[in-house]
Amino acid sequence: MDFSIIRQLRKIAGKDAVLDRPEELMLYEYDAGVDKHRPGAVVFAQTTQQVSQIMRLANDRKIPVVPRGAGTGLSGGAIARREAIVLSLARMNRILEIDVPNQRAVVQPGVVNLELSNATAKYGYYYAPDPSSQKACTIGGNVSENSGGPHTLALGVTVNHVTGLEIVLPNGKVIEFGGKAQDSTGLDLTGFFVGSEGTMGVVTEITVKLTKLPEHVTTLLGIYNTVEDAANTVVAITQSGVTPAALEMLDGWMVRCVEANVHAGYPEDAAAVLLIELEGMKEAVEEQAEAVSAVCMQQKAREVRRARDEKQRQLLWLGRKTAFGAVGRVSPSYYTQDGVIPRTKVPYTLAEIERISKKYGLIIGNVFHAGDGNLHPLILFDARDPKQTENSRKAAKEIMACCLSFGGSITGEHGVGMEKMGLMTAMFTEDDLEVMVRLRNAFNPESILNPQKVIPDLHFCREITGPLPKAKVEPVAEVPAGRMPV
Amino acid sequence: MSTVTSPASLDRDLATIVGDAHIRRTAFEINGVIPAIVVSPGSPDEVGAVLRLANDRGLVVAPAGGLTQQQIGGVPERIDILLSTTRLNKIEQYDPGDLTISVAAGMPFAQMQRTLREHHQWVPCDAANLDHATIGGLLATAASGPLKSTFGHMRDFCIGVQFVTTDGKVVKGGGRVVKNVAGYDLMKLLTGSYGSLAVITGVNFKVFPRPRQTRTFVCSFGSLDEALKFRAFIFQSPLTPMCMEIISPRAPEYLHDPAPVHDPDEYAPEEPLSLPAVEWQIVLRAAGSDNVLGRYARELGSAVARTLEGAAEEQYWSWISHFERSVLSRHRNGLIIYTHLAIQSVGPALQALERAAPDYNLIPAAVGRAATGHLVLALMPLSVDPPSAMQYANCVSAFRGMLPPGSSAEVAHCPVEAKPHFDVWGTTPTDVNMMRAVKRAIDPKNILNRGRFIV
Repeated sequence: MDFSIIRQLRKIAGKDAVLDRPEELMLYEYDAGVDKHRPGAVVFAQTTQQVSQIMRLANDRKIPVVPRGAGTGLSGGAIARREAIVLSLARMNRILEIDVPNQRAVVQPGVVNLELSNATAKYGYYYAPDPSSQKACTIGGNVSENSGGPHTLALGVTVNHVTGLEIVLPNGKVIEFGGKAQDSTGLDLTGFFVGSEGTMGVVTEITVKLTKLPEHVTTLLGIYNTVEDAANTVVAITQSGVTPAALEMLDGWMVRCVEANVHAGYPEDAAAVLLIELEGMKEAVEEQAEAVSAVCMQQKAREVRRARDEKQRQLLWLGRKTAFGAVGRVSPSYYTQDGVIPRTKVPYTLAEIERISKKYGLIIGNVFHAGDGNLHPLILFDARDPKQTENSRKAAKEIMACCLSFGGSITGEHGVGMEKMGLMTAMFTEDDLEVMVRLRNAFNPESILNPQKVIPDLHFCREITGPLPKAKVEPVAEVPAGRMPV
Repeated sequence: MSTVTSPASLDRDLATIVGDAHIRRTAFEINGVIPAIVVSPGSPDEVGAVLRLANDRGLVVAPAGGLTQQQIGGVPERIDILLSTTRLNKIEQYDPGDLTISVAAGMPFAQMQRTLREHHQWVPCDAANLDHATIGGLLATAASGPLKSTFGHMRDFCIGVQFVTTDGKVVKGGGRVVKNVAGYDLMKLLTGSYGSLAVITGVNFKVFPRPRQTRTFVCSFGSLDEALKFRAFIFQSPLTPMCMEIISPRAPEYLHDPAPVHDPDEYAPEEPLSLPAVEWQIVLRAAGSDNVLGRYARELGSAVARTLEGAAEEQYWSWISHFERSVLSRHRNGLIIYTHLAIQSVGPALQALERAAPDYNLIPAAVGRAATGHLVLALMPLSVDPPSAMQYANCVSAFRGMLPPGSSAEVAHCPVEAKPHFDVWGTTPTDVNMMRAVKRAIDPKNILNRGRFIV
């Protein structure tokens, strides 16, 4: 990267806040997904003002900027395209305010998800969205990806818990959306911005809802002799009128994989297990636990166990939350999918995944948010073997095709990023995507921020935006407040 | 701006798109403006053709559903076409096992809810006038009722949306699954956009199991302060009520079926200002088994003045949802304000209301979501000395001036004569220039609801 830019970045953020040596940049060329690309420079902003100055510099010089949190994303959202500046928000990691009476917290984007819950637990509150990477991932990243997690079944995903944002636009302007009120007059730009994957602005401050810790929590483990019975249970529970706080499924292969890793207490001969969590008032939880156990048994569960104490409960969850890591121990590479299907189609889709696994001779482990129909098949392969690599991509494509054939989605919580951009045309028409591009351009007219992400570079993109990222577009005319041009 | 189209040729061109039977004249006024023509397209493609025609000729379009919320907003500059979605009224897909439903935008909400009820499911929205209000209209106005406390509102259950842009394109966002981050969240953008961005033609919802049993606990307090202390106690308790309303001393007058009134301008509470109205109420609605409801009764203890169940309970909550309608049926010139407040701003806002109203010859009453800060504030004109148009405007300004920072308060209803004197939408913490940029991106000629919304 041009040294004058590095020098200016150092002037803005400080000498120790810019990386430009190849061996340093290597650490920022990947995330937790499959894609890779080395950035031109990495800068660590510490204040909103620095973010604004960096954006202004990049905008003047037409250099793409890719915002980054902890790099735990699974779709390449934080990976540079070309010689981009990676703008790390990891050093903006202060909890600015815990406002218990208003049930809100104001945080900087680099605050780690779990740290917020830890900091608020003493007041009887927590931050509900809990991605599996919550020990590492940042709330800024969660906002960009609209992250989910096991406990979003009853309480909703990130967008349901964010009420206010401070944003730096690509031209360096700092603007605010919402605040501590649940919503406000006018367009819901807070809601629209969440999940925009760093393509509209850089989040520099976030106001989130805090949720009251439940009085009582209990976790059940349903053990099954067939995957089908477990899948049918998911449908039956949803129909029974009980909404569990979490409803997760691991298939037999995953169970054994996890057991070898952490000894969570899952029976190794099971074909599938369901991890069901119920929370709320003590009386309600007890009744629901009874009801759910009965449903499991009706659906031919071999056994339903209930965590005796908090320690056992934590252990059951440890198995679920470390599942991806456990796979990493047994396979050199794996490819995580994130398809979503209507809940009634879970049994059929799992059978289909089994067929695809056999067809390509690849192990596919399943660990997923069954209650939402959000599947995470993990395709195991050896990246050193080009044939296997190719087959893993083919298998992934077939799984996605299956999800889409049921009116499902290509991504439930990991984002489109770079990885699934090519699949967007399978879900959306050109007209749908064109409207999205027009809306993005209202924020990011020259694609300075996170170019070539989320929406594929179709012909209309070039028509609207010009070749990326050094686009020449007509500036959007500023209209004085009040009247719109006719 | 003038159009080159003569009315007759416009009628002809619109009839070509939708058929003669589906264009008509109307006497229906939107803030004093009568739409030139009403068009009812029978499909999203027809909506597209109508919009393309309007866009090409610079005609202003007002999208409409059940006409229950059209008076909210600024005075329209003009309305060349009232685009009614009422012919788009079928359930496209409903599989109770998936807990999702896909509905055309012109269907009355209650009709969809009846179908869901057969399977003990619901979309937890209890806004007013659901027999007439359409799904698209409720989404466009982000309408809600007491259930917003726990379930949120339309934005939180809408998982997919189909809409038509002014260039005639039929576009969708989201999908039919409950968790989905593919593409931008167009559902959030259209919820509460008041028909100013695009015409909503279809909505997909996630649906919920309907509670099998509920009970309502009405708790009374001698002052606002005591009521808010009780709210704090609920927040700290393990209780998780489905609804939590705060009701001001004068509001119960409007929480029953309206008495037959001959002249809406003449009705007023008897001895309006001398009534010793000091009793504030917090009303909780809980769902669960007898066991769970028993726990509520124990925890709430002596604070409970009365308990409601069954039909009486349903009726009571319907009155709460229809508080605004009840006020306006008795006071045509009533002023209605919706607030968006931080939780701790509820008290200051209610105090501000009680303080601002009498100075402008208005009598205050309030009902609202104590747990989330969405209040419906009603100000009734004194019948002996009703306020002038300017006094309405000044009252709103005085009230807004007393709200804590970060609050917003929009005027949902006031005499149309008062509207030119102030901004019905008021200020908002969300960047308005960005809202306008979004509007320009999607409706560059500003043909949708010109003059009505904040953008």
